[in-house]
Amino acid sequence: MIARAARSEHVSGWLFVLPAAVLITVFGIIPIFWALLLSFQQNDLLTAPTWVGTENYRTLYHDPVFRDSVRRTLVYTILFVPISVGGALAIALLLDARVRLSWFYRTAVFVPVATSTVATGIIFNLLLEPTYGIANYLLGEVGLGPYGFFQDPDQALYSVVAMTVWGWLGFDVIIYMAALQGVPQDLLEAARLDGAGRWATFRHVVWPLLGPATLFLIVWSTINALQVFDEIYVTTRGGPLHATTVLVYYMFNQAFELFHAGYAAAAAYVLFVITLAFSLLQLWLGNRRVHYTS
Amino acid sequence: MRRCFLLTAILLLAMLAGGCGGSSSSSSNGVVNITVWHGYEDVEGKAIKAAANRFNQTHPNIHVTTQNYGNADYALQKVLTAIRAGSYPDIAYLYGSWAANIARSPTTVDLSDRIKDPSVDWNDFWPAERQAVQVGDKVIGMPALVDNLALVYNKKLFDQAGIPYPTADWTWDDFRAAARQLTDPGAKQFGWAYVADGSEDTVWRFDALLWQAGGDILNSDNSEAEFNSPAGVKAATLLQQMATVDHSVYLDNGNGNYANLFNSGKIGMLFTGPWDLSGFPDVDYGVQVLPGDQNHQTISGPDQWVLFNNGDQRTEAAWTFLKWFTSAQQSLQWSLDTGDLPIRASVTELPQYQQYVKRFPGVGTFVANEANALKARPVIPTYNEVSQAMGQAIQAVLLGKAQPQQALDDAAQQVDDTLASGQ
Repeated sequence: MIARAARSEHVSGWLFVLPAAVLITVFGIIPIFWALLLSFQQNDLLTAPTWVGTENYRTLYHDPVFRDSVRRTLVYTILFVPISVGGALAIALLLDARVRLSWFYRTAVFVPVATSTVATGIIFNLLLEPTYGIANYLLGEVGLGPYGFFQDPDQALYSVVAMTVWGWLGFDVIIYMAALQGVPQDLLEAARLDGAGRWATFRHVVWPLLGPATLFLIVWSTINALQVFDEIYVTTRGGPLHATTVLVYYMFNQAFELFHAGYAAAAAYVLFVITLAFSLLQLWLGNRRVHYTS
Repeated sequence: MRRCFLLTAILLLAMLAGGCGGSSSSSSNGVVNITVWHGYEDVEGKAIKAAANRFNQTHPNIHVTTQNYGNADYALQKVLTAIRAGSYPDIAYLYGSWAANIARSPTTVDLSDRIKDPSVDWNDFWPAERQAVQVGDKVIGMPALVDNLALVYNKKLFDQAGIPYPTADWTWDDFRAAARQLTDPGAKQFGWAYVADGSEDTVWRFDALLWQAGGDILNSDNSEAEFNSPAGVKAATLLQQMATVDHSVYLDNGNGNYANLFNSGKIGMLFTGPWDLSGFPDVDYGVQVLPGDQNHQTISGPDQWVLFNNGDQRTEAAWTFLKWFTSAQQSLQWSLDTGDLPIRASVTELPQYQQYVKRFPGVGTFVANEANALKARPVIPTYNEVSQAMGQAIQAVLLGKAQPQQALDDAAQQVDDTLASGQ
């Protein structure tokens, strides 16, 4: 009797997860293995594929455009993650203090997250247009510029960083604000009684308690940054002169513009390994440094 | 427990039904249903619906449904995905530059025998159109659109600068001098605009210059790059001098700003096609053939209707529709509705043609200019690689990041490697 009840519970549990499990299998797990298979093929998505073994990976290793795209992806990530997470912490601390109109600032900070990437891209294209754009006009008023922004190979990647930080900052701010709400008042009070100043309170009480949020944001932003694509697709399209050709853009170009699907799949696996390595490293560091309160 | 099982079953069924939908068009009560995919919006969107209606009324055994697939720039990816999924249209509008890729798909119908039918009058289509659909010994589609580049200029800006309007025998030097005179950095006014995003938009305007200087993209058997010849360097040098020395060129980053700027009177001249004319309501513009070097060749960008095999019955119906739709009478109707150039030479002899030329100012020059479209881009599966290499080189030259000879040599090396490896 007991065994039967347990079994039926087992079955119903599986039935509950079945829809999600089917979707994840069809759209997640199967493509992962299919891509692995693809990466050992020469495949143009049109005609019968041929098996080429590890040749795609070897070609990748010697492809200067690919190597540059890996380098650019790392540069982008190294800029994007600290700026967006650090900036979000600063803004969250400011908003957490009781300022007038804080509801307005919170909304203002979050609006870009809710705005579609395409709209963001179009707006930034207009703002940063070198000759007629308002950015150069305003900078000119204070004696700076003009800058090429998206059209200058030396500035395009940084312009994309600026645009994506603007776009994603609000999400990080919300996470940090939620974490700040979770800091127990009695701890802050105790710190004050012990004579801790504002900085000491932040450094020794608040910051350690924000650890889980910080770890989450760093891991999440890093994965996001390594896979940046949409924002580039709607603005610079990888240019000028490959200046913003990051890994995923490179894969898109290879698979869907040049029809080297197998080669692109190999690049995808390189990205997968990089992402995995980053995430493991961060989690390992996090486990050693982050304190979770019960 | 039972209820939750039911719920799960319903969910699963819903998912399966969702996955299976979409491939419903087949024959029912003797009517063959076919689907046409296109990217037409606005005026053209209405025109294609109207055309399908006219056809459906006169052909009771066939029913044509038109479906908009969004931006035509990404149509190839969408069609490829549909073919992969096994549920694809009977006819799709695809760019000419994809011909060689689409020819490799086993679902593409080879029309080479069908076009021999005298009622098709194949040689009535412009040469550039016929070249564009010919892949080896296959014919992979019917001409859908033809256009070419001509010089469109703002008459008012010419008058203000006190220079005479462009003539049919303008040289590159005349053109460069005029662009310089039309440029006014203070007023943010440019003599010319060039799409400098490194895409095919960058490349095909260069192709016209390359051919004018007597050069070509690849050698005659498409085995080696030839665009780094002295003619290619001469063409790239013209771009370099105008962009980095005269600063008379507005470099568009691929978002099509140049059209709005021309309409605002900020740009004096464009190399552009008839599709842009409707975007210039505020400008009194003139149209002239391109300035020349050894000749005044232009480049034609033909697109095509590609037919996909969904069984004999539907293929036959789709062919009936295409043959009808690309006939001289329907082509003229389309031109009258949309302003697009007629896809057949004989359309110019139909009485209603005069109405078309009157309705769309400047378009007559484009039709006549089709005779200057003598060469076509190579129809090879690796064309996109050729284009990308050339695009990067031209972009580097325009941005002042490379010298013409060096940039073209590097690109030629890449293209040679690609052509040698055949992938």
